[in-house]
Amino acid sequence: MPYERAVCNFCGTGCGHLLQVEEGRVRGVYPLPGHPLSQGRLCVRGWHIHELLQTEERITSAFIRENGELRLVLLEQAISYTAERFRKLGGEEVAFLASPRASNEDNYLFGKFARAVVKSNNLSLSSDAGQEESAKVLLAGGGWPAATGSLSKLKQADFILVAGGDLTKQNPIIASEIHRARRAGALVVTVSPRKTQMARLSQVHLRPVPGTFSLVFEGLTRILYEEKKFQADYLEKCTENFEAFFKKLEQVDLGEVVARTGLSLEILTEVARKFYESKLTYAFYPTGVQSLDRKTMSALFNLMLFAGKLGQGAGGIIPVTGISNLLGSYDLGLSPVFLPGYLDASEEKNVKKLEELWQTPLSRKPGQSVSACLAENKSLRALVVVDHDEEIIRNVNRIKELELVVYFGAYHNNFASLAQVIIPRPSYAEAEGTYTNAERRVQLNRKKVDPPSEVRPLWKNLTELARALGHDWKYHTAEEIFSEIAKVVPQYSGLTYAQLDSHLGLKWPCDEKHPQGTDYLMLDEAGNKFRFVLDENVRPQPQALAEQKADFPFKLTVGRSNYFWHQNSLMKRTFIPKREYNALLLLYPKGFVEISEEDARRLQLREKQLVRIISESAEMILAVRISPDVLPGQLYVPYFIEDMIPEFLLRQVAELEKNEEFFLPVRLEKAG
Amino acid sequence: MYWLERHQLDNLVKKLTESYELFGPRRDKVSNEVIFDRLANPLELDLEAPIPYNPPKYILFPHYEEILRYRYDRQSKQVAIEKLSHLKPKALVGLRSCDLTGILCLDRFFLGQEFVDEVYLEHRKKLFLISNTCVRPFPQCFCVCTDSGPSAKEGFDLDLTRVGDRYLVEVGSKKGQNLVEELGLKEAGEEAAELKKKVVDESVSSFDAFALENKAWISRATNRLTTGFIKPEVWEYIGNQCFECGACSFVCPTCSCFNVEDVNRLDGTTDRIRTWDSCSFEGYTKMAGDHNPRKPVEDRRNKRFFCKLSYSQSKKYLRPGCVGCGRCARVCPGDIGLPNVVTYIRREITGD
Repeated sequence: MPYERAVCNFCGTGCGHLLQVEEGRVRGVYPLPGHPLSQGRLCVRGWHIHELLQTEERITSAFIRENGELRLVLLEQAISYTAERFRKLGGEEVAFLASPRASNEDNYLFGKFARAVVKSNNLSLSSDAGQEESAKVLLAGGGWPAATGSLSKLKQADFILVAGGDLTKQNPIIASEIHRARRAGALVVTVSPRKTQMARLSQVHLRPVPGTFSLVFEGLTRILYEEKKFQADYLEKCTENFEAFFKKLEQVDLGEVVARTGLSLEILTEVARKFYESKLTYAFYPTGVQSLDRKTMSALFNLMLFAGKLGQGAGGIIPVTGISNLLGSYDLGLSPVFLPGYLDASEEKNVKKLEELWQTPLSRKPGQSVSACLAENKSLRALVVVDHDEEIIRNVNRIKELELVVYFGAYHNNFASLAQVIIPRPSYAEAEGTYTNAERRVQLNRKKVDPPSEVRPLWKNLTELARALGHDWKYHTAEEIFSEIAKVVPQYSGLTYAQLDSHLGLKWPCDEKHPQGTDYLMLDEAGNKFRFVLDENVRPQPQALAEQKADFPFKLTVGRSNYFWHQNSLMKRTFIPKREYNALLLLYPKGFVEISEEDARRLQLREKQLVRIISESAEMILAVRISPDVLPGQLYVPYFIEDMIPEFLLRQVAELEKNEEFFLPVRLEKAG
Repeated sequence: MYWLERHQLDNLVKKLTESYELFGPRRDKVSNEVIFDRLANPLELDLEAPIPYNPPKYILFPHYEEILRYRYDRQSKQVAIEKLSHLKPKALVGLRSCDLTGILCLDRFFLGQEFVDEVYLEHRKKLFLISNTCVRPFPQCFCVCTDSGPSAKEGFDLDLTRVGDRYLVEVGSKKGQNLVEELGLKEAGEEAAELKKKVVDESVSSFDAFALENKAWISRATNRLTTGFIKPEVWEYIGNQCFECGACSFVCPTCSCFNVEDVNRLDGTTDRIRTWDSCSFEGYTKMAGDHNPRKPVEDRRNKRFFCKLSYSQSKKYLRPGCVGCGRCARVCPGDIGLPNVVTYIRREITGD
């Protein structure tokens, strides 16, 4: 039987697919109809994953850099060389950048290697800070760090709020589920400045001025408060700090909300009423480059809690992860703030518990994210990176100063050219492993084909490395690692490979209490009490200051283009998605900026004319694309050109500030 | 016609596996879904299974296929071209009539026009085709509206129709006749044709009760599509729901569009690769000089339904390009599988 069941490795939807395996190669792909979430659908990326899986443009052996040149070496040599170099490094002198695309088994051992072998807490994922913020907000409010609602019940929803991004591009099959729910009768309200396809598929599209999302949600809550649309007894019984929240609500000025968001009180009131009256209510936001900022996530959480939409049924908040195992990576503690299972890394009892489980002393020095290390940590000497990461390129000069850069990756890219040691990685079809999608569904991918001879799973190479450094690691299979994960991560405690093999994934928490997994958060899971997330200490949004400057009259937002993905390091190794990307690239070799017809007329700009986009700290040249999708005063840039990120967007780091529902104040001039 | 007793089915399959790789419907154990797949174990063949989620198209027209390899020698300035086909004969057992009709449409495209596609021909001539009458339609089916079922009329080597606990076997080719004789099947006598007609008629009349997912007014839609009297708003409504995934083309038993890429291999050779393509992609119709006659997504959708249903296109296939299998409706992330589009067109006609 050449068609074999597997899980797509692109985005956090985790669609089920069938890989057509012939003579040790993946020759085709087909959607798996019985998959509980994707139900026989795939997006354009998923339909072409076999093209990526067959590419020869990949790393198939280990390399060591000598005198500036990469030299091909045996895997064992690369491991012993790396171990030798590690012996001369102190714990916090090393930072570890994990991959949200790697399996739970790989990621768990990567985290364990950093903390238990190298004794460094400088461990993080890439640029997707939105997921970490989301987990923090949800933990603070309900003690449950991921999707509180159930996607399986979405079709019964009667109100769906979609905030930010464009799910039809980022997670198309989740957007398709929302569209199905709409067809079954749900009211879909999308909040985004740009007219996205998601907005086109919604009955109501709220287009707030960029940067005012949190005000929209605060405004909606305030309207409910004024109209007495809340259950006082529920709030009293189920929330801890509603009085403090009421005080905060009283400070919300609806006049200001209307003035700053640009939305009318009528439409906000209508949405607020429908929202309150709905019986099964969902809120979605993407976590990733187009995520919301923390303040907005908190405001949305509070709105849901205030209206009694949490912990009472299948509805709830769904943070939508943009990369296959982004959620699993946080579950396993690949963060300076979380230990495996979202335990607070700053609490002594949690560190002690982990020491007992791992039978080795751990460092108490607080860790930093890799980007913080590169920006601030002068004592950093080495970096270990899995897969490619776009954000890291921003610090290219700092990385060049490091003594040791180890890269575990499948493809050559900009980052590989900075590495001293390169160790190849198999594709997801060449190794066993579990992946956790946005709905907390842990899914097992069995090995389908053999990797090239010098390519071994990351966990295996890490095991060798740990052994070379004097730690007696004894992992022989991914399954052994997974059973250790079940001991360390409480949410995974009831999961086994045998169980995952006979199911199409199970949703954590899967434990003694929930042996078949958990569909959605009920009140008792939150320790019987929710909390409003007040976030008193959140810094004011920097754009509030920049907003007032008349020199930069346009608000620039960025987004994903359909076929672009993470600097395209994956898409450019396919045929059809690459062609689609090239179609845009050929039309707009330097990328494009979307501008409203009104502004284009006023500034006398024509289609494809080159313009200079100037912000306070950088500039770039793009072609004009006149679009009905953006409002006057706004600009939109889909960042599908590789150089755009390091040369323009990432230089704006002070403005981006990790919250990514952002805009940049810019001005626009004709170029040449 | 002949009778195939149930216990003789094993013999049939065994006989086939002597000379062919066996393909047929099987059920995936965990998801319980039906896949038309290569069967390592003949016992997996499930002739009672519902219509498979995938059509057999990939067996003749693979998702990804090296069609030739060449090496350019810089010194002699010569190109050596190597044919890359090492195809094994394949037996497709239990084809539903929609899928067999799909193969006949592919034949028209790849073999029936000015040029004969040799790669396809090589796949095609090595096939042994056994169709299987749908004695009861499945929820997604509308083959009665597209003249492609529930029973196959042509194109098979053998055609099976289940009657009680045995199968009536109709022979469609010399190859089929030989196999029937080798197996020593019993002749079914004169009443067989009447018996088969009764089974097929019953199946047709049960569409109203069982085929509930899709209703397609194919002939009216063909008329509208051919004359072009469909309002742009209808196409826009359809275009807004297109996620541009290409699934409708990939799962269609008759969609034959492909893309060709040359891939340089590490050993210095170049493989010419043919892959499935779809008219839903912007790059599909893009021409040199940035011109794209079908840039907006609704224009691209419009093209697909024109291809499937318009009269001018049907002349090429000698039948509608749609075979009524309902797969496009199941895989669509929007709600614009062909039957739904026909419904939108109908709504425009009837105004409800």
